[in-house]
Amino acid sequence: MNVLKRLLRAIFERLESGLDAACGPRFNPLVQLGAIGWFLFWLIAASGIYVYIFFDTGVEQAYTSVEALTHDQWWAGGIMRSLHRYASDGLVVVAFVHMLREFAMDRMRGVRWFAWVTGLLLIGFIYVCGITGYWMVWDQLAQYVALTTSRWLDALPIFSESISRNFVNNAGLSGRFFTLMAYIHIAAPLLMLALMWVHIQRYSHARVNPARNLAIAIVMALGALSLVKPALSQGAANLDALAASVGLDWFYLAFYPLIDTLGAGGLWALALGVLAVLAILPWVPPLRRPSPAVVSLDNCNGCSRCFDDCPYSAITMQPRSDGLPFAQEAVVDPDLCVSCGICAGACPTATPFRRATALVPGIELPQHGIAALREKVQAACQGLAGKPGVLVFRCEHGAAVRPPAAGAAAVIDVPCTGMLPPSFLDLVITRKLADGVMLAGCHEGSCYQRLGIDWTEQRVAALRDPYLRDRVPRERIAVSWANPVQQAARTAALDGFIAALAEGGRAAAAPAGAGKPAWRLPGRGLPAGLRQGVQLLLLAGAMWPLGYLSATPAVRLRGEHEAVVTLTFSHAGRHQQECRKLSPEELARLPPNMRRSTGCPRARWPVYVELDLNGHTVFAGTEQPAGLWDDGPSSLFERFRVPAGAQQVAVRLRDSGRESGFDFTAAADVDLRPGQNFVIDFRQPGGFMLK
Amino acid sequence: MTTIEWRPEFAIGIAGIDHEHQELIGWIGQTLAASAGAGGDREAVADLLGEVFAKVSAHFALEERVMKDRRYDQLREHKQDHELLLDDIRDIMDDYEAGSDPVEERFASRLSEWFGAHFRTHDARFHRSLPAG
Repeated sequence: MNVLKRLLRAIFERLESGLDAACGPRFNPLVQLGAIGWFLFWLIAASGIYVYIFFDTGVEQAYTSVEALTHDQWWAGGIMRSLHRYASDGLVVVAFVHMLREFAMDRMRGVRWFAWVTGLLLIGFIYVCGITGYWMVWDQLAQYVALTTSRWLDALPIFSESISRNFVNNAGLSGRFFTLMAYIHIAAPLLMLALMWVHIQRYSHARVNPARNLAIAIVMALGALSLVKPALSQGAANLDALAASVGLDWFYLAFYPLIDTLGAGGLWALALGVLAVLAILPWVPPLRRPSPAVVSLDNCNGCSRCFDDCPYSAITMQPRSDGLPFAQEAVVDPDLCVSCGICAGACPTATPFRRATALVPGIELPQHGIAALREKVQAACQGLAGKPGVLVFRCEHGAAVRPPAAGAAAVIDVPCTGMLPPSFLDLVITRKLADGVMLAGCHEGSCYQRLGIDWTEQRVAALRDPYLRDRVPRERIAVSWANPVQQAARTAALDGFIAALAEGGRAAAAPAGAGKPAWRLPGRGLPAGLRQGVQLLLLAGAMWPLGYLSATPAVRLRGEHEAVVTLTFSHAGRHQQECRKLSPEELARLPPNMRRSTGCPRARWPVYVELDLNGHTVFAGTEQPAGLWDDGPSSLFERFRVPAGAQQVAVRLRDSGRESGFDFTAAADVDLRPGQNFVIDFRQPGGFMLK
Repeated sequence: MTTIEWRPEFAIGIAGIDHEHQELIGWIGQTLAASAGAGGDREAVADLLGEVFAKVSAHFALEERVMKDRRYDQLREHKQDHELLLDDIRDIMDDYEAGSDPVEERFASRLSEWFGAHFRTHDARFHRSLPAG
């Protein structure tokens, strides 16, 4: 498991570094997959509402209304339909890559199990939406989806009658079914939206909107694909026949062909098995987390800065419990705390200048105490020999720090750069413990602790509390954000910073923005102007597989010269016992309101059926009655692919529990056309119906 | 020597903030007393200055929170004033550590001036902006 995780992680880190260079770390699509998912959801919802206005629920109207939408108003409805499809396909891709990445980066263990498990449920919802969506169009693909999904659902023992029997032939199909589908197709996304909200509940400042120019690029790319390759239907559904092949949307339906090899039960086993394995991953192995943050009430006045900055909503502000005249105090929920220390970095009492009393801040991590940090800083700075010498605070999840010469830089590891109170920077710089301080964190676009990098930059720039005070020279403070594979960038940043300090000036200015940003090495990679174009090109490249796999390749449903024989019934066998008069003793045992003269045991006989084709028995089976008391109908829906041409059909049925012989039989010589669906149904009264 | 004393008119009516104002005045007085004695313990004074800095930082954090919660319209200006004072205290601390010149008087006058001006303008204005009662 760990090998797989490390391998995936290395792949993701390299991809991310490449995309950083191409798009810039803040516009890197890989670091905002969840936000892109939200954006696609809104895109799907908007296009879906438009399409729904023109959709009619009826056996024929469903297909014709979608055809009219696609062709008569291709410039609006057609594009909307295509956007609806391609954004949905994109959502599947984004959801799976999102899941894979959180796994690879090990962001699903510990308190993050909640988002992992709700995310799995969300993927289930995506599939319910996609499958019902394809069903509603009622074209050849919809017919395949309907029959395969019904077969799959029929394997569950919860439906008293076979769902497949809704799709026996054209005559038996009800328009009501499309009303049901439309209902599910609207209800499922609404529930999904609620679950998406739950999915991000435990994260404060959860990112639900991608960078604006990325969102625009996504719409442009999907729009272009919609124009170049509009989403089309595959010919009207016809239950009286079976198409030779059908083009699949492999994003949603890739597992459907497996039902032919695994069977419905096998497919359930596979789906539930995969789901179960995924669901337990956050505990394989359980995350061993350092102790959660602790609050010192003597040093907490309830200013709620830690509450504002906690990325995991682990801190709440609650009424004061110790009698001091403050209104509130910070309370840590140990089950939600990930021990990142960002709270300590936000605490105004976590300042190293405090010396008259013990340096115990209002909130801190027991293993990474602020007093201990002050000692580490003093010890590390004493080892600095370089001129200039740099003190580096390095995040455990980022690239390593390799000083150019011994003594040129001293390194202190922290769980997150956000753990560092800005007044430590003040101490080191103004007391000249070092010539410069570098804050070396993990990947800029995707801080391991979510908000550590943002808060660190904003605190240094005096945009977020606690401010680094105004008079601390920012040219002596550098930031370097680099994941473990961006080692070269990290080393270049440190070398560059040391060189800039030696020159005594601002060799490389930080990007212009509000506040007073720290020094940083200008990003390499493409000039900002080109990035937008490259991003668009990359997305356009991704559109090709999206468009291709959304309808191709096709799966073969039957041979060129094959027909289909469907054997189906929903028939209640006879009662196992006749009704009889109850004896006076039996009557006396019954409650007064339930006494009746005759008793009728409810249990029915199972139904046994045999089918011969050209003299060979192709099916012989016993169907048990449905219902807890065995009092429901027995039902069957089986399809057989047979060579087209002359077929002798013979079918026999027994429903009376007799040992031998049959209660109903029928036979016919038929000439089957290729693709024909020949249905053998059984109704009472009337017996077998062959057509 | 300049001293600052708590006066009832300083009270703005929020228990936590008034409590901290009084505490602060206590710490400042202690610092001034320690630095007043001839041949006073310089290290003790430096430590006390650091303590005052920490207390003032925490106090401002709380005050800004209360203002934010009550949507005080001059939070920006008030906060700027806070940051300016923190900057000044830190400079005084650094100068004291460096031992370049006697800074006790600067500390005392800066704080008393600030307390006076700040109370007269900002805190008082905030006080008036609170609903009566």
